[in-house]
Amino acid sequence: MSVLVKFGNRITLPLVTLGLMTFLGACKMDMPPGGSDPGDLENISYDPHPYTIIKPDHFPPVPIPPDNPMTMEGVQLGRMLFYDPILSADSSMSCSSCHLPQGSFTDNLAVSIGIDGIAGRRSSMSLLNVAYATNGLFWDGRSPNLEDQAMRPVEDPIELHNIWPNVIVKLKVHDTYPEMFRKAFGIPDRDSISKELAVKAIAQFERILISSGTSKFDQYQQGDLDVFDDEELDGKLMFFDEGEPLNLPDAQCFHCHGGLTLTGNQYFNNGLDSVGNLSEFPDKGRFDFTGNPNDQGKFRAPTLRNIAISAPYMHDGRFATLHDAVAQYADNGFGVINEDIFIGQMGFPIGNGQYTGLNNYQIGAIVKFLHTLTDTTFVNNPDIQNPFK
Amino acid sequence: MKNFIFLFLAIGLFTGLQGCKDKTEPSGGVDLKATFMATYNGTQLEKNKDYTFGTFPLLFLRYRMYLSDITLIKEDDTEVKISDVEYLDFTPDSSPSDLSVTPEITYKNVPEGNYKGIRMGIGVNAANNAKKPSDFPADSPLSIETDYWPGWASYIFMIIDGKADPDNDGTKNLSFSYHCGSDMVYQEFTINQAINVTSSGANLNIEFDLLKLLTQEDGSLYDMANYPVTSNDVNNFKVALEVISGVERAITIDQ
Ligand code: HEC
Ligand code: HEC
Repeated sequence: MSVLVKFGNRITLPLVTLGLMTFLGACKMDMPPGGSDPGDLENISYDPHPYTIIKPDHFPPVPIPPDNPMTMEGVQLGRMLFYDPILSADSSMSCSSCHLPQGSFTDNLAVSIGIDGIAGRRSSMSLLNVAYATNGLFWDGRSPNLEDQAMRPVEDPIELHNIWPNVIVKLKVHDTYPEMFRKAFGIPDRDSISKELAVKAIAQFERILISSGTSKFDQYQQGDLDVFDDEELDGKLMFFDEGEPLNLPDAQCFHCHGGLTLTGNQYFNNGLDSVGNLSEFPDKGRFDFTGNPNDQGKFRAPTLRNIAISAPYMHDGRFATLHDAVAQYADNGFGVINEDIFIGQMGFPIGNGQYTGLNNYQIGAIVKFLHTLTDTTFVNNPDIQNPFK
Repeated sequence: MKNFIFLFLAIGLFTGLQGCKDKTEPSGGVDLKATFMATYNGTQLEKNKDYTFGTFPLLFLRYRMYLSDITLIKEDDTEVKISDVEYLDFTPDSSPSDLSVTPEITYKNVPEGNYKGIRMGIGVNAANNAKKPSDFPADSPLSIETDYWPGWASYIFMIIDGKADPDNDGTKNLSFSYHCGSDMVYQEFTINQAINVTSSGANLNIEFDLLKLLTQEDGSLYDMANYPVTSNDVNNFKVALEVISGVERAITIDQ
């Protein structure tokens, strides 16, 4: 029933906006400049200021596409659009409904729920350091870059369930957006507002979502060795396979969750499901994009930064706690044919290619280490919060 | 008067720029195109495909490596260095297909002439290996974080990963992973091979055969069943050294 009502809303909304447009059009003659005349924004100055992304010194340079340089004006516009429900059909949800700062830009739900109350099949992804994710976006990598990605939620029926022409109409008649688009992109008139420019602005905002470099882990990396207690240190050594001298086993984590962003952004079957045949995976993951049968059940290894505040875990949010997520790895997987080799190599080798797995202390120590990746400075950074509050 | 000054300035600037340009412009040379290919027993490598290794089946998941200081050697022993570092990922996970890729690299401004050989390092040379990924710009192959291991404070020079079934019971439950890194395992060698770079350039095909790589100097196959993984321990580079030194035997170059 409620679906029907919503359906009705969506049909009427474009009509209402259209009516408004005609109304505005009719009044145009009596109106001072500022309607939708060609060149109606040209009296507003266009003087974009380059935006310097703030990142920790020990982080690599942030990749910026040459056709979307970062500007103060672009980032500000992108931030507004990211938090503004204007993008959704019934003005009830924005990007931020499923990507909230306090959850490291996830929604802390197992699977996300769109404007019609319909649950999607996958869990929202953290946007922390997403600028560094250059090997495809989404759990399956089907989107090549942030500009392309930002096009999609607007028209996704289980997300914002809108259509872009409708969003553009709303932006054109808005009080402040036309001026912001002018200042960010130098467009001459309201009619030049486009989805291409809207997603460029959103992508610019997303590229500033970079770690502060102040987590306990970063302090340790920067040489402050005292910040870790013994258990955290054991966890770190196992995570990075550095525990041999202390007789700690390898947990192999860094092979897939390595580097400063704690992900190599590659696609693996990390041993979550015991299937007899690869076609039995309920969500085929990477296969949906590549069509390669060996990619069934593979997903992108996500960043583990801020992992303690972005529960629940995995592409379908199947684990409520970090402990459950790590314990899943402790028994060396199920031997499914396309499981990655490192999934079967946790613990000490016991010959014949077999490994001991991880015991409870070791699981606990790794979980404690993962807590040192929490970056509250990032989460509380005023520059990335909801500008409407 | 103002206009004159401007004109002089402009001429001065222009001549100045021209002067600089002459100095920095490389002195001609031609294009040398190198095509790299990974093979197994002579055919182009495919991920996830069953191959025979002596008495048992195996498959490969990943093969990638760094090359350093690629240098052409002239007949009079003078040298032309064409590359500081290359990263060859034959099985990139961005590729939808299981067939390995064949990276193509074009070296510009290579002097024409008859060369008698080519020298290269397998891995990252000591100067670069003293640095870490965040020291390099994003477009440098040395900025790739996944192929750096803090435990050795080294790049991982070469990765060969896969699964094998040494006891022939039908399941490949032996995972092998050869990850070689640190200055101690860096390999440098010269391949004697006539390379003629003419006025129209040159094309080189450089092949790395994994079966040859895993075949030892005496012709026997590497004892994968007993040595399936490289050690992390800096004092125990036996397996890493044995495997990475096979690259020299695995290379074929033709023009
Ligand atoms: C209804 C909830 C919902 C809304 C609204 C939503 N997202 Fe998402 N987002 C998700 C889910 C779920 C995924 C993972 C989907 C998948 O992999 O198939 C995701 C993935 C992403 C990713 C990929 C991150 C990565 O590392 O690959 C980006 C970027 C992103 N969203 C940005 C946005 C932007 C920008 C908007 C607004 C235009 C938005 N999202 C709106 C739920 C949502
Ligand atoms: C072979 C690669 C691989 C290894 C090794 C690996 N992971 Fe993962 N990890 C993944 C992939 C792929 C996913 C996403 C899987 C999915 O959602 O289906 C993932 C997901 C996770 C998640 C959930 C992330 C989220 O945002 O929901 C956590 C936590 C995690 N891994 C921790 C670890 C720890 C700790 C280790 C070491 C004990 C480890 N991983 C080893 C590939 C790996």
